[in-house]
Amino acid sequence: MSNTLRPYLNAVRQTLTAAMCLENFSSQVAERHNKPEVEARASKEVLLNPLVISRNDKEKVLIETSVNSLRVSIAIKQADEIERILAHKFTRFLMQRAESFVILRRKPIEGYDISFLITNAHTEQMYKHKLVDFIIQFMEEVDKEISEMKLSLNARARIVSESYLSQFN
Amino acid sequence: MILLDYHNRIIEDTLKARFNPENKPKLVDMSIVDFDGVSYHISTLENQETKLLLSIRWKCWPELIQYGAESVLKREYSQWITQPEVGYDFSLLFDLENIGADPEDVIRKVSLLKRNAMAAPFERAFDAQALAEKEEQWDPTTSQLMTIHYREGESIFIQNQQDRVTVIFSTLFKEETDRIFGKVFLQEFVDARRKPHLQHAPQVIYSHREPPLEIRHLPGLEDSESMGYITFVLFPRHFVSGQVREETISRIQIFRDYLHYHIKCSKAYMHSRMRARVSDFLKVLNRAKPEHHAVEKKLASGRAFRRT
Amino acid sequence: MSKPNFRKIDIDALEEDAFSLEELEQEIGETRPRHEVEALVGSRAQEVRSLLQRGNIGAALAKSLEDPPYGRDFDAAKERNTQTVMDVLNSTKSSDVPQLVKELNPVDQDVLMKYLYKGMASPEQYNSGVLLAWYEKLFEVAGQGCIVRVITDRRTV
Repeated sequence: MSNTLRPYLNAVRQTLTAAMCLENFSSQVAERHNKPEVEARASKEVLLNPLVISRNDKEKVLIETSVNSLRVSIAIKQADEIERILAHKFTRFLMQRAESFVILRRKPIEGYDISFLITNAHTEQMYKHKLVDFIIQFMEEVDKEISEMKLSLNARARIVSESYLSQFN
Repeated sequence: MILLDYHNRIIEDTLKARFNPENKPKLVDMSIVDFDGVSYHISTLENQETKLLLSIRWKCWPELIQYGAESVLKREYSQWITQPEVGYDFSLLFDLENIGADPEDVIRKVSLLKRNAMAAPFERAFDAQALAEKEEQWDPTTSQLMTIHYREGESIFIQNQQDRVTVIFSTLFKEETDRIFGKVFLQEFVDARRKPHLQHAPQVIYSHREPPLEIRHLPGLEDSESMGYITFVLFPRHFVSGQVREETISRIQIFRDYLHYHIKCSKAYMHSRMRARVSDFLKVLNRAKPEHHAVEKKLASGRAFRRT
Repeated sequence: MSKPNFRKIDIDALEEDAFSLEELEQEIGETRPRHEVEALVGSRAQEVRSLLQRGNIGAALAKSLEDPPYGRDFDAAKERNTQTVMDVLNSTKSSDVPQLVKELNPVDQDVLMKYLYKGMASPEQYNSGVLLAWYEKLFEVAGQGCIVRVITDRRTV
């Protein structure tokens, strides 16, 4: 299974690079307004085709682009109950700090665990290739972190149970 | 700190200070709490700063009395027992000028007041098992199933069989995270006996939501997703009279708090890991911003021009 | 005389430049009726199957990517055609993929990229691992532009 990881991340990277072509675009619907079109979805012609890159039915990325904004939604691998609760806690923790993260969305898109919203303002302030780097690194680190947290939980459980029960000897 | 203390540290420290002959007697009025909803009150009597009153309040006190707590308390605290203070279940009175030859021993005993109060049902079950073992035809219906509602929504059930004593904890996991973390911990408890150095440990059985057979018939059992049941099967080698028995009673009593303490520690640990990760991510994200060099601009004449 | 309810008129829809889905249809340029398209897709599926049985993967691939059913109301045809393409992709030896991809003309490469994304959108149905392997090889020859065209081309599979 792990031999699809590199192709998966590369596919996401290439799709993101292609999709991250954003420019300033005022709202066509409301005068003097400038909204991320991928969120407002008011004018159909500025919305482009959404794409999905999947590694399997549990891990996938949805990339929705528009003229001035891009939404990246990630479904994180959650093999069992423990990974599910750890992923849930972690993404919730992150989303509560969405403001300091700038590109993070406070709520994930339906069917996914976490979503990013990148607008032309962000691509003007930050290097595009570094933003893409960040998202790919994020995907790798989240999986790693959840695995490590699960391992540490199991290790702690072992120590806790042994410390207690060995006293009965 | 992995293991929890069996005694109450605050009582220990307070009595150490008050029993110390170098400390002048002074007014004391302390309210102290312990695990499982236990409250203590340490105070000096009106106008008598040499007389120290220590009282305990625990909502399961009537049940403990029912299971023989009085004789255990009399055994441990005989000369200090006094009329219970108003609003409390049991009180001890100490004369600071007359503690006796071994104040250390007194302090140790008193700091174990909670533990000793709940020792009675265990002692009763252990003694009943010892008797049952000797019988040729032992009638299981003679075995008493003792229930102690020692904290809100949670209970301890103790029953002896002919060859063992079973202690069942019913516990509430208030959050789903607690329940799932609890499951991981308890699975290790269940599996521990497979390890060669732990093959003589008590058998542990865990059941989520479904009460074990031994207590299924009892009324008032709450049926909810957040309920868990942990059964300890103790064999005679675990409660051999003397030090072994005393240790086992102390250790079993503290199990629920031990488990939940470590669940909370895990949650706190996860939290600190996530915080570290978030700051890592933010650092990476900051690298995406171009650096702003303080550009020094020059005028045509060659003078430097710095923008404030 | 009752005044017309002028406040409720959707003025944006009446504007000359307003984007309409009918214009989109014209852009896509599919004039054939549904049953004709479905029949076409069906016969193509059979052709592809026989080419695969004869071991002619290259021709099967090219055939499967020919004249995809674009247009709004052709969902059944689109699903059928996607399955045809997936059958070809799954029947290929991984060592043959780079050559097959190189032999495709640019138009077919774009169509293939569209189908790769389409397939990945239903990971319960199609094997994402296989699709990712094809994606890697196709990207090497077709490049970023291919992806951009998939994102922007209104003619979706």
